[in-house]
Amino acid sequence: MEGPDRRFSFRGRTHSARDGETLLSALARDRLPLVHRSIQYHRPQGPFCGIGHCTGCLVRVNDRPNVRACRYEPAPGDIITTENAWPSPNWDAYATIGFLTPGGVDSLHGLRRPAFATRLFQRMVRRLAGTGAPPTDAAARAIAAPAVERSTEVVVVGAGASGRPVISALVARGVSPIVLDRALRAPPLDGGELFPATTAVFLPPPSETGARPFTVLAFREPAQGVRIRARSVVVATGSYDASLLFGGNDRPGVVSADAALSLAAPPRRPPFRRAVVVGGGPRAARVLETLGPAVEAVVAPGEIRPEVVRVANEHGVLLYPRSLLIRAAGRRYVRSVHLEARGGGVRTTIGCDAVILAHRRIPHAQLFFQAGAAMEWRPGVAAYGPRVLASGATSVPGLFATGSAAAILPSEAARHAETVADAVVRGAPSNDPARAPAEVPTELLGYYRELLRTPGHGRWTACPCVDVLVKEVENAVRAGYRGIEVIKRYSSLGTGICQGRYCLPDALLLLSLLEGRPPNEVGYITQRPPVVPTPLAALAALPAEPAAEAAP
Amino acid sequence: MTFARDSYRSVVVGAGIVGLFTAYHLAREGGGPVLVIDRGFLSSGSSGRNGGGVRQQWETRATVRLAREAVAAYRRFGREFGFNIWFRQTGYLFLAENAAELARLRSVHALVTSEGLSSQVLDADGVARFVEGIAPGASVGGTYLASDGTLYPFPAIWGVHEAAKSLGVEVDLGVEALGVEVRNGRVAGVLTSNGAVTAATVVNAAGGWSGEFSRRAGLEVPNVATRHEILATEATKPFLDPMVVRASDGLYFSQSMRGEVIGGVAVPHRPGTARGQGSSPTFLGAMARALVGLLPRLGALEVLRAWSGFYDDTPDGFPVIGEDPRLPGFVHANGFGGHGFMLAPATSRRVALSVLGQPTDLDPAQFSPVRFLGPAAPATAERLQLG
Repeated sequence: MEGPDRRFSFRGRTHSARDGETLLSALARDRLPLVHRSIQYHRPQGPFCGIGHCTGCLVRVNDRPNVRACRYEPAPGDIITTENAWPSPNWDAYATIGFLTPGGVDSLHGLRRPAFATRLFQRMVRRLAGTGAPPTDAAARAIAAPAVERSTEVVVVGAGASGRPVISALVARGVSPIVLDRALRAPPLDGGELFPATTAVFLPPPSETGARPFTVLAFREPAQGVRIRARSVVVATGSYDASLLFGGNDRPGVVSADAALSLAAPPRRPPFRRAVVVGGGPRAARVLETLGPAVEAVVAPGEIRPEVVRVANEHGVLLYPRSLLIRAAGRRYVRSVHLEARGGGVRTTIGCDAVILAHRRIPHAQLFFQAGAAMEWRPGVAAYGPRVLASGATSVPGLFATGSAAAILPSEAARHAETVADAVVRGAPSNDPARAPAEVPTELLGYYRELLRTPGHGRWTACPCVDVLVKEVENAVRAGYRGIEVIKRYSSLGTGICQGRYCLPDALLLLSLLEGRPPNEVGYITQRPPVVPTPLAALAALPAEPAAEAAP
Repeated sequence: MTFARDSYRSVVVGAGIVGLFTAYHLAREGGGPVLVIDRGFLSSGSSGRNGGGVRQQWETRATVRLAREAVAAYRRFGREFGFNIWFRQTGYLFLAENAAELARLRSVHALVTSEGLSSQVLDADGVARFVEGIAPGASVGGTYLASDGTLYPFPAIWGVHEAAKSLGVEVDLGVEALGVEVRNGRVAGVLTSNGAVTAATVVNAAGGWSGEFSRRAGLEVPNVATRHEILATEATKPFLDPMVVRASDGLYFSQSMRGEVIGGVAVPHRPGTARGQGSSPTFLGAMARALVGLLPRLGALEVLRAWSGFYDDTPDGFPVIGEDPRLPGFVHANGFGGHGFMLAPATSRRVALSVLGQPTDLDPAQFSPVRFLGPAAPATAERLQLG
């Protein structure tokens, strides 16, 4: 649907968004905007993930706090402001907290004395903590919507590259699934019933009895509760571009490949001119194919694959294989990156206006974990995914996986969709062999072993949502604490808005090095519901359910 | 991994706040060497899963007194243990939805006041002053005690853990207590997943798993583990000072130092630990309805995560403290019904004293391990359970 530009107010000035454009895209016409400061030290923080998980683009919309600009399409008349920075995110007086505490604030041991000042400290810390002001009643009323409750045979979560073939295959077998897709504007389907802009947030283990053992909780933007009971669930949530540890890794201009590709999708012009792409595999090649003219250099932790070299040569892009990415520098925005050739080699500085992380994609596996599916370590990406049989069946009867969340390669997707649809309709075959994806272990652990010899790395940010420094993790290990679960509680790492999606995968590698044991032995990360922050209004609108957990 | 010694004076089962405080006091009172074992990691049980509330408003005098001691201990905690637990005394506000509930709260107020604590009775307007944005008619009044408060549980665990270790207590994690070794009718040692150790005393501080451990030792106990769920929202600037509790449906919530709203509400659960410490859609819905019904603007706030833990419930709501006369050497420090964090600083020294065979000032009718064995139910009960 084509419509007139939607005019909205951002920080008191009128802007306009084209139809189908998110707030972030509207603000990022020329360059990535700086709308947010980090929560504790007020470092400038830019849009990072581009898919609605991180804190980099949080703004206040019509008195609703912490709205992700990358997941919000402005409506005419919206009043949008920034949060937690004074007078503005560009010039934030609170940044003095960072200057005054160059070694970080020790909230575990600090501010205990003198005892008479306790109340003063607490008031001060409370005032500084938190992001936006609390919402107003009007904001809550504006987003409230009646809930949707349904009962069906099959739910498919994800209508992307791997979900669509499964949906078609199910329709061909006479099953019309309910499809939940997170994209704000998902293209229509050939069959099935599509819930667009709808995120599945909770898939508890199936109940032991009943024809429809699964309950999928979801919400449709902005705050409509959705609850679906189903006999089977196919999860095709795909994967996402991971973060990387280095100095300034959340500085405005550092973005994931997910964000870069969505912000620069044609016909848009990329909001950068001279980007450094990090990674030497297929994802880096994809970024180069789309954004080649705006790329200055490719930096890879390991080797750079021939397909990347080929595209890079077409665009005259410089190549830096086997390089440590040490720091993204610049007063507010990224202006350069500092590299060191691995093995203690030459140091290089590359001028740039963006750093695009395309070095590893890890599965969106939270729903599998919640449902109680057996998980396995994926050495190729140093992350966990569901254990999947050839038919796509997981260890939970009725729960199936396909696509990259299940380590299915794009080239296998179409064939796997048919297999999964058969298993969903007829039940998983009894002679269902285990899938053993042949994966080359990632070199990332060796990379980090070298990188973390860099002096001053303790002040790098290990968790951008909560502003946890690498040295806080190191201190926890030094104090004798072991394992990701306890380190998370000791340092608060992974307890922010992204729920550890971006920091915990690297924290596993960091801990592996500090504790001297393989990364898959430092523990698993509990994936608590909801998968994505969910408005209380959406949950409150759901009708009370007969207590499945009731005492007998 | 092996234990550092073959033989200990005492083995404490459970490295939660109750077990660690007990071990700390045992070491201080000369009851060492002490070994603490826990089946999980530090803070994996209820001590790492609670809402951090610490209150002195109770229905029985014995609990009020213990809680008042605990509050004093938490005020000193930062100086004594070196960790900042962010103990913020901004009060507990109990809400009444009707006149009958208000009458019940008034009797709590009378008891608390008679113990020298300055509790206040509030009318509906008084409640609205503390809870900005409360829905009209949601409450007819309530009681407020300013010296109640909230704390951040994790640093309290690290603090007591490190203090106990510096007194020579050995803490071994990932070790499960499988049973006790009995010789001549008394405890002679503890069987663990890591082998057997000799010990004259075993302290059962296993929280939600304490009933199971007592039964493994052959002791019939009425402790029941009950799962309770809790959630945290995204963080905002401060708008709510007290912990708010509504006894009618067990709703409780506060805003943490970090700005998150943290709280829970009662939903029915099957008893036992079998379902694990996960969450349910039933709870998420019930909690959202309760919160938004009371404070409509919270509808625009987002839930970040939900989790659950176990209350170790007893029939009369009092904990079980002291040596079990049926099995000398077996000492209980359990049955806290979700209030281990609130009471542990006060009860743990008394547990340590009973390990050392010294008398305590606790009324056996309320705290003894065998009070449930007689034909008559215990005379008093503590029913102000949630929040």
